[in-house]
Amino acid sequence: MSSYIEVENLSFSRGYRKIFNGLSLSIPRGKVTAIMGPSGIGKTTLLKLIGGQLRPEGGRVLVDGQDFQTLGRDELFKARAKMGMLFQSGALFSDLTVYENVAFPLRAHTKLPEDMIRDIVIMKLNAVGLRGARDMKPSELSGGMTRRVALARSIVLDPALIMYDEPFAGQDPIAMGVLVQLIRLLNDTLGLTSVLVSHDIAESLSICDHAIVIADGRVIGAGSPEELRRSDSALVKQFVNGLPDGPVPFHFPARDYKDDLLGVDDSDLLGLGGGRG
Amino acid sequence: MVESIQKLGRTGIEFISALGRSGVFLLRAIMGLSFTRKGVGLLVKQFYQVGVLSLIIIIVSGMFIGMVLGLQGYSILVDYGSEQAVGQMVALTLVRELGPVVTALLFAGRAGSALTAEIGLMKATEQLSSLEMMGVDPMRHIIAPRFWAGFMSLPILAAIFSAVGIFGGMLVSVDWLGVYDGAFWSNMQSAVEFDADVVNGMIKAVVFGLVVTWIAVFQGYDLIPTSEGISNATTKTVVYSSLAILGLDFLLTAVMFGGL
Amino acid sequence: MYNKSVELVVGLFMVAGMAALMFLALQVSGLSLDSQKDSYRVYAQFDDLGGLSVRGRVSMAGVAIGRVSDVSLDKESAMALVEMEIYAEVDNLTTDSVASIQTSGLLGDKFVAISVGADEEYLQDGDTIFDTQSALNLEKLIGAFASGQADI
Repeated sequence: MSSYIEVENLSFSRGYRKIFNGLSLSIPRGKVTAIMGPSGIGKTTLLKLIGGQLRPEGGRVLVDGQDFQTLGRDELFKARAKMGMLFQSGALFSDLTVYENVAFPLRAHTKLPEDMIRDIVIMKLNAVGLRGARDMKPSELSGGMTRRVALARSIVLDPALIMYDEPFAGQDPIAMGVLVQLIRLLNDTLGLTSVLVSHDIAESLSICDHAIVIADGRVIGAGSPEELRRSDSALVKQFVNGLPDGPVPFHFPARDYKDDLLGVDDSDLLGLGGGRG
Repeated sequence: MVESIQKLGRTGIEFISALGRSGVFLLRAIMGLSFTRKGVGLLVKQFYQVGVLSLIIIIVSGMFIGMVLGLQGYSILVDYGSEQAVGQMVALTLVRELGPVVTALLFAGRAGSALTAEIGLMKATEQLSSLEMMGVDPMRHIIAPRFWAGFMSLPILAAIFSAVGIFGGMLVSVDWLGVYDGAFWSNMQSAVEFDADVVNGMIKAVVFGLVVTWIAVFQGYDLIPTSEGISNATTKTVVYSSLAILGLDFLLTAVMFGGL
Repeated sequence: MYNKSVELVVGLFMVAGMAALMFLALQVSGLSLDSQKDSYRVYAQFDDLGGLSVRGRVSMAGVAIGRVSDVSLDKESAMALVEMEIYAEVDNLTTDSVASIQTSGLLGDKFVAISVGADEEYLQDGDTIFDTQSALNLEKLIGAFASGQADI
């Protein structure tokens, strides 16, 4: 099993907070890989690092053997035409119709004649079942439809890699089912490598071939969904089973509950408190 | 005490680094102009959004300001028996000062805030990121056309503002208050110099156009992508632009029309 | 991606801007398209300019024939030296012409009025008018009136 993306010893921080410190993982070619972890763990940041939108502070990211950091701006933009990304909000251009949104990457990167563009756009819209919505504006679409249009747009250039940022967040069960099916179907029919980042464990595990669990800036578990379910790491168990308390505590760090309730403040503890008569 | 000094220092550092970011940003926005068919199309579209849509407010305000100047000028000058000079007063006031300054202030409120909000919304809804991921430079595709259209629209709008204002002044003083129109125009023509007054006024408009669109576009691009961030940035655009316009106007006036 | 009507409207917008600028140039600042006409320079010395400044009008019989291009102090004679640009087509200023500083209206702008004499020779580029009358000084006039020497 060859890997398509190789992340080696990656570190990255935002402000003073270290998000990744020596993260290493590999994503297999031609499979659906789910990267999971608690909220705020930097999953979106990881996708942006893979896409070359952010520069790592240490380590490197290889996509299909290529290190984006060594590329110039124009080469980077060319390399990105080979990857699609589905943003959490869909990120459709609000002033363009559905049709123009899907046609956009084609117009930007190719010099195809208009009738050819039309054929491709209609085929891609048909693949996501929204051929009938081509003249609508993004503001008229429901959340699930927005995401499907965005999906059509990200596969319009037939990329080799497609990344999904929280594809299931805020979707109703039907829209979720449609998306799950689409991700699987596109991966298998187009021969893509798919990476999805999510905290919806059940859906992610149901479609992925390979799963990686990240917490505290490092990989705590990787393998097939079956392997993860059987894992005996407490952290993986808590996450996979969605337990409220465990190694990831329910409570945000705070001082003692009893002291807090009694209103004892720090100065009282030091014997300096005054004014209580 | 120590805390407030720390805070001051942090604000200072943040300010300097924002200045640096905006400088680099300005350069990239200027360089991002392209004259391909698509680039020109984007530019034309932004000219419409930024320039043409600001036209109504510019014409209406120009008309009223010119009329007020005609009225005020007449009521002051008539005491000295030199109400013929009202044309000269209206024209000089508009061409040198009010044309560029009021146009720029209105432009900051109408087009500047809209630019900030639009770019901010694109950032918040990840449209800018998504352009980047599609291998399209948002600097070239989004920022540069808006910057250039705004920057070049302002002098056009300022010229229209002054012309309409002078017409409004004429309407009040000649048609309503009965100033002899030959004297109105000839006094104006002998007092207004093309290279000294009109050209300097246009230079002011160009400078204001650059600064206002720079502020507006940068605030949109640099904001924190939340709804609160967008509203803050929009306010900042209007406040910073207005202060910059008035401060620069003083500087430019001092350099152009003497004194200092 | 954008339609022709937007292009048209933007084009009209730019035309309107150009028209406004033309209006400001021609109608407001009185710039005539052939303003760069040929001219020659003539000098005159005055005791008192009384507020005459650069860009002031130079006229003959009430018709503008040029403009004041420079005003300076001649240290030797302690008089004001005025440089005037006279349109080349007005080539009949005699060497004994008289230049006087006058006021348009009671409080209006100062300008130079030139009246020709009877001489056969005409002023050339760089020549000087010697016969000059300074500005009428209103304060002096009033002062003279008040002290009963009205016949200055």
